[in-house]
Amino acid sequence: MSEKNDNFDPLKQLLKLKRHEIPPPGYFSNFSGDVLSRIRAGEAGGSDSIFERMQSSSPFWSSMLALFTAKPGIIGGLATSVCVLLLVGVVLLDRSDSGQAVADTMPGQPAATVADSGVLDATPALASAVPLAPADAGVGISVNSNPVTSLQPITAFGSEQNPLFQPILVKDVH
Amino acid sequence: MLTMSEPATAPDANAPASSLEGDLVRRARRGDLPAYDELVKRYQERIYATIYHMTSNHEDANDLAQESFIKAYSALKSFKGGSSFYTWLYRIAVNKTINFLKQRRNKHHLSLNDLDFNAEHDPDLVALISDKTPTRDVNLSELQKKLNEALLKLSEPHRMVVVLHDVQGVSHEEIAEIVGCNIGTVRSRLFYARQQLQGYLADYIKS
Repeated sequence: MSEKNDNFDPLKQLLKLKRHEIPPPGYFSNFSGDVLSRIRAGEAGGSDSIFERMQSSSPFWSSMLALFTAKPGIIGGLATSVCVLLLVGVVLLDRSDSGQAVADTMPGQPAATVADSGVLDATPALASAVPLAPADAGVGISVNSNPVTSLQPITAFGSEQNPLFQPILVKDVH
Repeated sequence: MLTMSEPATAPDANAPASSLEGDLVRRARRGDLPAYDELVKRYQERIYATIYHMTSNHEDANDLAQESFIKAYSALKSFKGGSSFYTWLYRIAVNKTINFLKQRRNKHHLSLNDLDFNAEHDPDLVALISDKTPTRDVNLSELQKKLNEALLKLSEPHRMVVVLHDVQGVSHEEIAEIVGCNIGTVRSRLFYARQQLQGYLADYIKS
């Protein structure tokens, strides 16, 4: 690095030209009024993106966001990794549910009865995952039609049937 | 600014000013718009100038400056007083401007403000366009255009430190606080930016 390259005085003199640039006459007379008008009109209602809010709230997030902005490949790689992990999780969960259903429907165990077959028909994974009780206990499982599915003990009805091959019966539970 | 004819008994401007500003901020946080109007008037020129020097476009600077103040008002409740209000406000304006420029990457449109009357009488500038400069026929308007074009060639972080320090006279420490980096980074960015500008403007800088 030569000394000549470190002499920035002429450049600094030139940059002073920027200080002489001024907006149109009277510009600042109306500026604050315009800002307040827009505030009163409701523009100060948090219209910022999550990105901007994170930048202003924390220097940590500001630097993280700057990193992601500078290297978008990082966020792409993270997003891909998250998707792959989700897929793996879903596959593993599905496999464990299937295994549990097969184990639960071994010969000698009754099928479950449910209040709303519509719910379980639409959610075969749930149907296969419904825990079963021994037939002689006279206790089964019902699933009501509420959006929040709940499991309630009921009196068993009907003959023993394999849930893998039979539709789930609709029963009213009181 | 005091002149020789004024008595030199001005009170300490720092303490009353900071407590007055603190009062304005407290009132503005409670929804006192006249108090916030006062804060806007205090800082509108500096905030506008920073944004204008970064964008070289008056219309964009106008929009961004207004939006910065609007955002600052909505975010007043999050202002915890860890830094000065001015620094906090500056940080909002800087982030907003950089985000805007990143979205408009490589699509710059100059809309330059006029030079004030004093520009032609500034001794530093007069020296630059004297017959000792490499390019004798340059005038101030052309110099202004070339300077803005050169600044726009810098990346936003480098341009920001040059604008804040060399154009607006902000200290390294304050720049570090505004931009969110350490002082060493500010100094290295400033050095690199000046080197770049020097190269772009070699034809217009007296050797």
